[in-house]
Amino acid sequence: MSEFFAMGKYAFYVWTSYGLVFGIVILNIVWARRSLARALAEARRRLAMRGENT
Amino acid sequence: MAWTWFHRLGSPPHVYGLAARLTPWFAWPALVLILYGLYGGLIDAPPDYQQGEGYRIVYVHAPSAWMSLMVYTTMAIAAAVGLIWRIKVSHAAAAACAPIGASFTVAALVTGSLWGKPMWGTYWEWDPRLTSELILLFLFLGYMGMRSAIDDLQRADRASALLAVVGVVNVPIIHFSVEWWSSLHQTASVMKLSKPTMPLEMLIPLLAMFLAFTFLFIALLLVRLRGEVLMRERAAKWIQEAVSP
Repeated sequence: MSEFFAMGKYAFYVWTSYGLVFGIVILNIVWARRSLARALAEARRRLAMRGENT
Repeated sequence: MAWTWFHRLGSPPHVYGLAARLTPWFAWPALVLILYGLYGGLIDAPPDYQQGEGYRIVYVHAPSAWMSLMVYTTMAIAAAVGLIWRIKVSHAAAAACAPIGASFTVAALVTGSLWGKPMWGTYWEWDPRLTSELILLFLFLGYMGMRSAIDDLQRADRASALLAVVGVVNVPIIHFSVEWWSSLHQTASVMKLSKPTMPLEMLIPLLAMFLAFTFLFIALLLVRLRGEVLMRERAAKWIQEAVSP
């Protein structure tokens, strides 16, 4: 198992690369969901305001 | 001919609903393929005869680089369609691509750098492949910067679309840079017409990761596209139904 984590002598380069890419994957999922949630909240707010005016 | 499905792709409510329904069909296969690719790439595939275990960076580096080019090309096509036929949904799709593309261009550049240090002896070299990929990052950032600098959405759409379309010349330059100039970066091992130059135990997990990242991009794009469409359709009646919880 420790051999697996050692990655020859490349542990730093390999694990930093994998960590970075999966960090970016997770961030993209979070950002995408957040931008949709924000647009939905904004649309609901606008509809509510219009509802009050009429 | 039933062209109606094609024309409906220009209709915001249709696209909003379709994007919502399609997302899980791409998101879940992406997850399964990523898990398989990780197992195959980190555990199952044998070490490289020259680079030992260090070559395993390829399983995240090459799919990220592929993603950066795929996203840019998609963005440029969507922008061109938006410019030519003045389709709002198309501009929305182009805008949705940019942050995804920029972040995976960073992933490709940094993982390449982390691979270059042990194999080439340097984190960075002004090599044609590296330089043109860096220019791709500036194109994404320029596109996003231009959009946020222009308040009027229609003007922002058209101006940024022009930048995206002009910048597409960089895509073939990146792809062929390793052939056109003698370069430090290795030539293509997979993305070429003849047989890939690696054994199947290495190749199959890599192909799984390419497919995984492609599906991931589509899923991310569909989610972001819904947000972009909602923002553009301020007054439309269909939104009332779409946003009711």
